[in-house]
Amino acid sequence: MNKKVLSAILCGTMIVGAACPVFAGTADGKKIALVGKSAGNAFFEIAAASFKEAAEAEGATVDVVYPETATADAQIKVLDNLISQQPDAICIAANDVNALQAKLEEAMAEGIKVSSFDSAPNKDSRQVFVNQAGTVAVGQALMDAVLDIAGGEGQWAILSATSQAANQNAWIDAMKTIMEGDEKYSGLELVEVAYGDDEPQKSTDQTAALLEKYPDLKVICAPTTVGIAAAAKYLQDNGSACKLTGLGLPSEMIEYTGADDEHSCPYFYLWDMQGLGKLSAYATIALVNDEITGALDETFTASDLGEYTITEADDGGTEIVLGLPLQFNSDNIEEMAKLY
Amino acid sequence: MAGKSGRSINNVPESSLKRAFLSWEGILLVLFVVINIFCACYSEYYNLNSLLRQMPVYLAEVFLMLPMAYILVLGEIDISVGSIVCLSATMSCIVCNTGAPFIVVIITALVVGTLCGAVNGFILTKFTELPPMIVTLATQIIFRGIAEIILGSGGSISASNTDGFRMLAGKVGSVPYILFLVLILAVIFAVILGKSTFGRRVYAIGTNRLTAYYSGIHVQKIRMIIYTIMGTVSGLCALFIVSSSYGANTTTGNGFEMDAIAMAVFGGISSTGGKGNLAGGVISAFIIVCLRVGLGQKNVHAQVILLILGVLLICAVALPNVVKQIQRTMKTRK
Repeated sequence: MNKKVLSAILCGTMIVGAACPVFAGTADGKKIALVGKSAGNAFFEIAAASFKEAAEAEGATVDVVYPETATADAQIKVLDNLISQQPDAICIAANDVNALQAKLEEAMAEGIKVSSFDSAPNKDSRQVFVNQAGTVAVGQALMDAVLDIAGGEGQWAILSATSQAANQNAWIDAMKTIMEGDEKYSGLELVEVAYGDDEPQKSTDQTAALLEKYPDLKVICAPTTVGIAAAAKYLQDNGSACKLTGLGLPSEMIEYTGADDEHSCPYFYLWDMQGLGKLSAYATIALVNDEITGALDETFTASDLGEYTITEADDGGTEIVLGLPLQFNSDNIEEMAKLY
Repeated sequence: MAGKSGRSINNVPESSLKRAFLSWEGILLVLFVVINIFCACYSEYYNLNSLLRQMPVYLAEVFLMLPMAYILVLGEIDISVGSIVCLSATMSCIVCNTGAPFIVVIITALVVGTLCGAVNGFILTKFTELPPMIVTLATQIIFRGIAEIILGSGGSISASNTDGFRMLAGKVGSVPYILFLVLILAVIFAVILGKSTFGRRVYAIGTNRLTAYYSGIHVQKIRMIIYTIMGTVSGLCALFIVSSSYGANTTTGNGFEMDAIAMAVFGGISSTGGKGNLAGGVISAFIIVCLRVGLGQKNVHAQVILLILGVLLICAVALPNVVKQIQRTMKTRK
């Protein structure tokens, strides 16, 4: 009697077990470790949360681990711990380009898949890097925004951070190159690149100076969160006809964003940290399932994000580029302001 | 005459078994076993293999504890060692990147460390009234400052030829070289401190520097030697740090001095001088290493691990006082 019951239960489990894969995710029972740069970075935690959500929806378990301090040495200790745990994959935002090589190579030799996002370790230390948006993509998005807001022609200016900021200068150069390279931007005139040094007061002063010098100025583009917030306040308080776009934080921009004349900024951009976390999760699962190895030109489907192709990164390794930065406008800013 | 452990002054030796069990080292040994059993129960990944594999990063700091124990026994402190590690690591990477043979890289690290230690020793022995804490605080800033200037704007350097460092991180079977080296050095340092005339002089200086001086001990010479060796060992530590990350940066060695001091104090070496021995220091170092590995393997939040270590340290420092107080009340009751 007992045996019959037991066998019935066993049979039942087998049927359910066989049927399960139809309903379950692609990464059932897989263990993924996500290593951050340091604890307490709100920006990173947005990406980590969406990474976790996406991977767990596929049936994987995700451990988010932070090092003691924001150093490569502390991350080495974390990696040592992870190698002992033998997860299926490690996804890391590296604190140093080269310092993690020995440990990540050790992890790969142990059969652990290694992906990275946000900040890449060198090409020998990873299988693939998930990049937010290339410099050119940022430049393109900002340039098109300027063209759109200016209405096709007119004077515009850039309000940057400091004159030495590497990322700022790379975006500004990309914008200039795009502007010169395409006929449709020929009506636009870049009158000045001003530097607010990422200080609210100086950014405000620079905005005022730009408006005084160029009364016909149509658009200011500020690819810095401090600059855009300061300029947005100044333009809106003074009811200026000059409009604004750039890279900013939704929570700081919520009062100034809107398509009407009362708001100074029709729309602006920022990294899509949620999308980045999600894509990283799918890329890591694809590595675990041997759908990809991280080699050039491989393709994989990142669930509802669509199909992605692995391309060559600037450092000679491979990367997956998420795409354009995320646009924030009056439709989504209230929701996004709660996040960023 | 103070006992070797320096914790009790007894003319009539008790039975050796009882004494061994009641000594601080005995308690630590029991704690070591307890911690290991705890870790093995707590973390399913905790075994000899994973322990040996994860140990090297922590063992590099155990090197620093050895000469630090001498400095603490002197009643002094050296908080510049983390910066010496940073500077030595930086210089060894630079020399390595010139294509020099690995033996030259090793010598560079040791020489840079020794020189830094000698600078500390020189200042402290030339101007004897200066407090070591302040002098080494100054050199801590200076040595790291030099390293930061050398590292430039990027703030980090990678060794282009990693063969030598890879070899240094090698293993015999599954036992890393560094474990052998730590144990060998620990024995040498412990024997010199516990059994030699030099060691007895160190205790004498730590107990009462003036008396030691009038007894004909070359106080300043001994201090100079110890601070210099502290530097040399920091250079050795730097080599093993580089062998785990193949590079150095401005944060390399940050906080190492405090870890080394914590290990020593936990081991019963008093920071007021003249007390403690290296057996305690070494056991406590391994307790800390095992605990960090065990908790780390379960992804316990790094700050929580630090908190636990902090509580342990407070207990370790307070326990002898508590015991003494209990003994006193027991005696008055009698």
